[in-house]
Amino acid sequence: MIRLEVPFEVLIVEDEALLAMDIEAMVEDAGHHVVAETASVRELVELVPKRTPTIAFVDIQLAEGSNGFDACRVIQERWAKAVIVFVTANPLQIPDDFCGAHGVIPKPFTRNGLMLAMRYIEEGVCDPPPVAPQPSSFIASPAFAATWH
Amino acid sequence: MKQRDDWHLTDLLEYEHGRGDPFAAAVRATRMPMVITDPAQSDNPIVFCNESFQKLTGYTREEIIGRNCRFLQGPDTSIEDVAKVRAAVDGGHDIGIDLLNYRKDGSTFWNALYLSPVRNSDGVIQFFFASQLDVSDRIEAHRIVAEQKAAVDREVEARTADLQAALEAKTLLLHEVDHRVKNNLTMIGSLLRLQARSIADPAITAKLDAMLERVDALSTVHRRLYQSADITRFDVGAFTANLVPDVIGSTGRTDIKLDMHCERVEVPSAWASALGLIVNEVVTNAVKHAYADGRSGKLTVRTEHNGSAAAIEISDDGPGFDELAQRDGLGRVLIKRLAKQVGGTVEWAGAAPGAKVVISFPVERP
Repeated sequence: MIRLEVPFEVLIVEDEALLAMDIEAMVEDAGHHVVAETASVRELVELVPKRTPTIAFVDIQLAEGSNGFDACRVIQERWAKAVIVFVTANPLQIPDDFCGAHGVIPKPFTRNGLMLAMRYIEEGVCDPPPVAPQPSSFIASPAFAATWH
Repeated sequence: MKQRDDWHLTDLLEYEHGRGDPFAAAVRATRMPMVITDPAQSDNPIVFCNESFQKLTGYTREEIIGRNCRFLQGPDTSIEDVAKVRAAVDGGHDIGIDLLNYRKDGSTFWNALYLSPVRNSDGVIQFFFASQLDVSDRIEAHRIVAEQKAAVDREVEARTADLQAALEAKTLLLHEVDHRVKNNLTMIGSLLRLQARSIADPAITAKLDAMLERVDALSTVHRRLYQSADITRFDVGAFTANLVPDVIGSTGRTDIKLDMHCERVEVPSAWASALGLIVNEVVTNAVKHAYADGRSGKLTVRTEHNGSAAAIEISDDGPGFDELAQRDGLGRVLIKRLAKQVGGTVEWAGAAPGAKVVISFPVERP
């Protein structure tokens, strides 16, 4: 089971520059650090982060025709302990096993939604089980939710 | 002459001359083609055929007598059906079956054959009696019906495949549009948030934040609509039950208690955005202003559905409307105009203490 320290070292995998900037701002508002932003799987493979990412927000549709599921595998290989959260407009695309990821934040996300999701994940990985009810902006993967029972 | 050969005489006799066997005469004259075979002779040959049989097959009596019935078979006769007839003969029981037979001129006809053994008093088979009936018309009619049915089936299959493909294309397009709408809403939100961060004036920031909350409410409406199975209906109750804790949760405040009872209130999805914005306005205003300056309290939220009418009730135990009236004027205007758009009314009332807002609206388009 993953146990994280706060603040999180956040990796953002998102091809829309605006959304990446926005997520970065909200992550910092929540008191966490952004270690890197990448827009494609290639960039992710070539990435040399200053610190080890502990959590990754991953879009499904990425630049250069790549996708978040491949990105998820790369992250699992490179930083096995990282919590992976998909951020996508099409949550139905995600397979039942979430490719081993921990949950999904559906787009369009709101500031409230993202902040609550981060707080919920924080509770879920730092001091499980989470005390707050699961916000509508975050759906935990069955495997992640099972670690609390 | 043996007794079993007696009936041969009837061929030679003329009934109208008062001689011979009346039954044999009837068999000879009937419209039903008939033959009799003799299993005691080698290869069970035909020993009698009537006029109708000759007419049906095109052979003369001389060509028929002494041959096994199989001379009527041809290349397209079913081997399985012939085997069934053979089994009936070997087993000494009767059989009725449709066989494709051939005339002397090579033309074919469907023969509804009925064959049965004729036994003597000891139960020993003396003869086989067979009647034939040309049922080509019936078989042909069946074949045409079957062919037409197959043609219709093929057509239905093709049309179904076309419709399926059209539906798939439409579904794909809907997903694509949904995806783009979501991405655009997300980007609008991101732009507003990024802009709000760069503004120092708290009054302008507050207005930008209010705009952002409205866009967020629209985003939530859209997300809920496209998550539900029926995108033509929108459940205002579930939306409210979702939005209110999110709004309060985002403030990080734990001193605002929530008393929520949200009944299912389904409205046409065309009203979703208007009602979503109304709920957002009322709730964000209450949270921001009734509980300003760290004042704690309780927010009561109800959605009710009564026949063709529904209502959303939001009441706080804050200072009441004097303070409420002073804030961002757009909020109140939005609530009024959007309520009117869905055929509803808004009522602001003092709830002593606090303020109460009731939005009443019909659940079906009048």
